[in-house]
Amino acid sequence: MSASSVSVEAVTKRFAGHVAVSDLSLQVPSGGIYGLLGPNGAGKSTTIRLIMSILQPDEGRIALFGASGNSRDLSARIGYLPEERGLYKKMKVLDHLVFLGEVKGIARNDARKRALDWLERLDIGDWAQKKVEDLSKGMQQKVQFAGALLHEPELVILDEPFSGLDPINAQTMKDIVVEIAASGRTVLFSTHVMEQAERMCDRVAIIARGKLVVDGTVAQVKADFGGRHVALGFSHDRERANAVLADPRLIARLDDYGASAELKMADGADPEQLLAALVSAGVGLRRFEVVEPSLHAIFVAKVGVDPDATPLPAVAGAAA
Amino acid sequence: MNKTLAVIRREYVERVRTKAFLISTLLLPVFMLAMAVLPALLMSGGDHTSRVAVVDASGSGLGQPVLTTLDAATIGDGKTARPRYEAMLFPADAANLAQVRDGLIAKSGFAKGKGRDGWDGVLVLDADTLSSGKLRYYGDDVGSPEGMNRLQREISKALAGVRLAKAGVDQSLVAKAMAPADMDTAKVTDGKLTGQSGEASFALAYAMGFLLYIAIISYGSRTLTSVIEEKNSRIMEVLTSSLTPFQMLMGKVLGVGLAGLTQMGIWVGTAFVLGSQGPHLAGAFGMGAAAAGKFAIPSMPPALLVVFLLYFALGFLIYGSLYAAIGAMCNTIQEAQQYAVFVTMSILVGFMAMFGLINDPSGALGTTMSFIPFFAPFTMPVRWSMTAVPPLQLALSLGLMVLGLMACVWFAARIYRTGILMYGKKPTWGELWRWIRA
Repeated sequence: MSASSVSVEAVTKRFAGHVAVSDLSLQVPSGGIYGLLGPNGAGKSTTIRLIMSILQPDEGRIALFGASGNSRDLSARIGYLPEERGLYKKMKVLDHLVFLGEVKGIARNDARKRALDWLERLDIGDWAQKKVEDLSKGMQQKVQFAGALLHEPELVILDEPFSGLDPINAQTMKDIVVEIAASGRTVLFSTHVMEQAERMCDRVAIIARGKLVVDGTVAQVKADFGGRHVALGFSHDRERANAVLADPRLIARLDDYGASAELKMADGADPEQLLAALVSAGVGLRRFEVVEPSLHAIFVAKVGVDPDATPLPAVAGAAA
Repeated sequence: MNKTLAVIRREYVERVRTKAFLISTLLLPVFMLAMAVLPALLMSGGDHTSRVAVVDASGSGLGQPVLTTLDAATIGDGKTARPRYEAMLFPADAANLAQVRDGLIAKSGFAKGKGRDGWDGVLVLDADTLSSGKLRYYGDDVGSPEGMNRLQREISKALAGVRLAKAGVDQSLVAKAMAPADMDTAKVTDGKLTGQSGEASFALAYAMGFLLYIAIISYGSRTLTSVIEEKNSRIMEVLTSSLTPFQMLMGKVLGVGLAGLTQMGIWVGTAFVLGSQGPHLAGAFGMGAAAAGKFAIPSMPPALLVVFLLYFALGFLIYGSLYAAIGAMCNTIQEAQQYAVFVTMSILVGFMAMFGLINDPSGALGTTMSFIPFFAPFTMPVRWSMTAVPPLQLALSLGLMVLGLMACVWFAARIYRTGILMYGKKPTWGELWRWIRA
């Protein structure tokens, strides 16, 4: 693997009254998809703004492509979709994309051709001559997405790219992100939706309260989390499982979703024991599977802020 | 550089394309024409024949000469001449003067619609009039200074004639002596005739100052609102990742300025057409040829045009960058207005100074103000149009403008750099100072 696309070294950023990012270090290798995960307010957007030189770090340093220039000097190589979407409302869609291409240094004619291609590809070709304000929110987001990618940057930084999109548009965007990575370029995106990150990312970094919790390849993060995990799906008599699931000799940690649950086995306990206990209690099971821990489970265990999760009182201290 | 051009083009095209641009381009000349024509139309109210009742209680037969003089006055000359007054004599004496006068006054008013007996005014000559020159006029048209001056001139003429005759001067000699002077004014610049009348050069200076004021204040404040819009629509974050604050600032100010210059070009072009076709157009508006001639829009000498556009460009860049900096500091238009007041006041001072200048273009005030970069855009073109400005003064003024411009842009870029990404509370003066020094 060549030099890091993005290198964040011991960066701290304070705002009046609180520390948004605290002694954070990240290495985003070139190529592949890198997920920056964390709950709301964890410092994801601040980290991305620091990387984009929109904010200046109070301590530490940030390097892009191993070069000394800041992101503006290198802006022709970087595509950026900010969390707060913004376009000129009165401009025509095509003109807007051409403008975004031009400020990235593409010649006008070229920008126009690429913009038309992108609009076609995103299924909004008919809207090229419409004003931005006439488009729906989802379409505007597509336009901005195209604007960030028009100049074929080798590093694409997307802040919450899938929020506010319907499933079909989210799928379209996801395909594009995957394709960018497949062509050898680098995508760094932030999200608080773990399932998405788990399916797409080669590497992830989980941050909480401005601090790095864990990072590495997805497989590595899962392996490091350790333990044996079981996914359950209930068909009937769910309430009979309560006593079994509350047994700390069997279960170290539980994410209860009602009709399904994900749990981490206690040390020394076997999944077979759990299955036997559930069957003998008369619980109707739809699914019983020994699984890798999901990023969600890891996230909840490490950060401990998911309101859906019900950590067992007996082991809550150990898991935190 | 190409990036700045892209910003300039965007600002320019997006502005010139709007309906608002089209409407304001069309409406302002109409408005200015109305401003020029309406007072002329209103003031020329004396252009209809006035019916004047002359009450003669002088006891010395003063009434007849006054009547003769009034009857001799005409509107226009040559073939189109019409009598200016339709006067009738009412003899009276000290005893019944009040009665005769009040009877006539009762019949005066808006006499145009009334019958034969309706009077525009009643002129009363009493026993003292010949010696003291004092007399009274009662009328519904006393609000027209021009009309009253004219009437007073005619009566003075009659009085002078009577007094001279009483002193034994021959009537024919009196008539010769009383033949009036008729002065036409012509403007001289650098020892050459410009072909403009004094009134024309006043109208030109006034129109230019007004145009500069409107254009700088409206386009300047447009940079302010456009920066705030960019902040609020959050497009700023995308822009800052690609453009330097200086590129953004210059692109915006130049783009908006070019749009302003385009509009100016259209207006000045229109003024040229009006200048050459003025009388025909005035005819179309139903104005008399005399009124039209008085307020015809004069043609603009090319040198003046260059000075005018140069000062507009420099003035706009100074004020535009200041307005942009204020926009960068604030999050809402309301907030920005608190700061923008300072800039607007400075524009207003420059504009107001113009009125003083029109009276005394080469005075100390005018000369000083045309060296101060904030006021020069208004004062210098007006001075240039009114009088001959020494080339050295023009060069000094332009040089100071360029220096002032550089200082303003530097200052604005510093504020812009930090301000455009600041959301939330507006900065204190102390914070602003830190932004500038940082």
